[in-house]
Amino acid sequence: MRNYSENIMKVVFLVAACVSIIAVILICVFLFASGVPAIKEIGVSDFLLGDSWKPGQELYGIFPMIIGSIYVTAGAIIVGVPIGLLCAVFMARYCPKGLYRIMKPAVDLLAGIPSIVYGFFGLMVIVPLVQNSLGGSGKCLLTASVLLGIMILPTIISVAESNIRAVPEQYYEGALALGATKERSVFRVILPAAKMGILAGIILGIGRAIGETMAVVMVCGNQAIMPESVISGVRTLTANIVLEMGYASGLHREALIATAVVLFVFILIINISFMALKRRAD
Amino acid sequence: MKKSRLAKVLTLGLAAVMMFSLASCGGGGDEEAGGEDITVVSREEGSGTRDAFTELTGVLADDVDNTVDTAEISNSTSVVIQSVAGNSAAIGYISLGSLDDSVKALKVDGVDATVENVKSGDYKLQRPFNIVTNGEVGELPQDFIDFIMSADGQAIIEEEGYIMMDDAAPAYEASGLEGTITLAGSTSVSPVMEVLADEYKALNSGVTIEIQQTGSGAGIQSTIEGVCDIGMASRELEEEEAAEGLTSQAIALDGIAVIVNSENSVEDLTTEQIRQIFTGEITNWADVAAAE
Repeated sequence: MRNYSENIMKVVFLVAACVSIIAVILICVFLFASGVPAIKEIGVSDFLLGDSWKPGQELYGIFPMIIGSIYVTAGAIIVGVPIGLLCAVFMARYCPKGLYRIMKPAVDLLAGIPSIVYGFFGLMVIVPLVQNSLGGSGKCLLTASVLLGIMILPTIISVAESNIRAVPEQYYEGALALGATKERSVFRVILPAAKMGILAGIILGIGRAIGETMAVVMVCGNQAIMPESVISGVRTLTANIVLEMGYASGLHREALIATAVVLFVFILIINISFMALKRRAD
Repeated sequence: MKKSRLAKVLTLGLAAVMMFSLASCGGGGDEEAGGEDITVVSREEGSGTRDAFTELTGVLADDVDNTVDTAEISNSTSVVIQSVAGNSAAIGYISLGSLDDSVKALKVDGVDATVENVKSGDYKLQRPFNIVTNGEVGELPQDFIDFIMSADGQAIIEEEGYIMMDDAAPAYEASGLEGTITLAGSTSVSPVMEVLADEYKALNSGVTIEIQQTGSGAGIQSTIEGVCDIGMASRELEEEEAAEGLTSQAIALDGIAVIVNSENSVEDLTTEQIRQIFTGEITNWADVAAAE
């Protein structure tokens, strides 16, 4: 009897494990099955390298959106990584216990705020700020970068912090014993030792930034053009999909799914490099 | 950073140009949103509101949408309002029924954007709201459609700030049917549809009505697939959609209001000026003032 119920539970566990794998496979199959024919119809180079997105005229070039996604993500990294990294160093090495009890939940809370709320914050606070100080409409590359920079902070902070904590204490003590100051030990010994893990955290942050949709749509202006400066509007791959999916039909709709395929490939590359790095870190 | 300094110099230069043009006008007493570069706010490609707007103003010429590339794109009416309310140099367009006090609606060709003027046909920027059905319609959805087209339903449409299609519609009598009706589609049509649904449910207590705001295209798609009973569209059916056996019916008329920031002193634009602004031929408010 015991054997019997044990076997049943084994099957239940197996099914549970399979569900997530099946979900991934189904999404892959759906994406490629409905996206690839559209790419073929439009032409691979016209689709990926065309600089004009005008569905009304059957022009489906997503190059401005690819560039937009890369720029916005790069901007987010420039804003988010230094702040996140230093914050992680502070939390792991300098933070008094009392302050840590407030900081840690605060960072976790930052991760839990829904992205639409970030978007609204950006629209009401960062957009007018940029508009007043730099001119233009305020909905631009810079605004999106700053907002995304804030949004990827919790990812970078928590991964970097745990990796800094994972460095054996002897490294730190050894550096001190050799006469290094606390700062020198932290930045020259501990950080390099935790390098791979920190990089993995940054890549995870990149993944979040490139996939972010709702917040970015509200603050980036969404012009499907090549950005000329930090205060010109951009449209990201995700924004392109969410903006037009509701109304699209026919080839336009398929072109949007094809945009999702490109995004998916981006995420795939990011995840593979994350796993490769993690393996090296371990 | 270099680029932004360039932008500042440009703005200064433009301001100087504007002062010149104002001076040469003999200072027509215009205190415009002072020579600011116009921020054009548009809707996304495929939006029913955008389709109607570009067609009516001539931004769409020979099937080519000439909306300027630098136009900000928003994917909902509320974000357009928010963008225009927060930017003194912005201009956008929204459904007349969604207009509120945070922004200012312009006269078009000297005609106020009001329900009366849309109804009389004097206000040119107007479009139909359609409901879409696929083949044979069930008894219950048909009864709901009858309600919308009845005198009672049309009165609600008028109350909500839209324009009724039929002045002499018959009154509606509750049918006492039971069941669920699913509607999906245009975000512009949804607000008035929700009020209609509430009223219908009050009359027929056994009915549940689900309304999904998915956008015109998705709503039509759902109707083709049979996922919903009635689709809502703020545009006409496209050929490939009509070929799937769909029929569409106009339930109301809606005006499209051209809106600017409340601080903007411009009151009136011609259709031609609107076209020039949205195609990027006019890029500065000073040029609009100079033309007046």
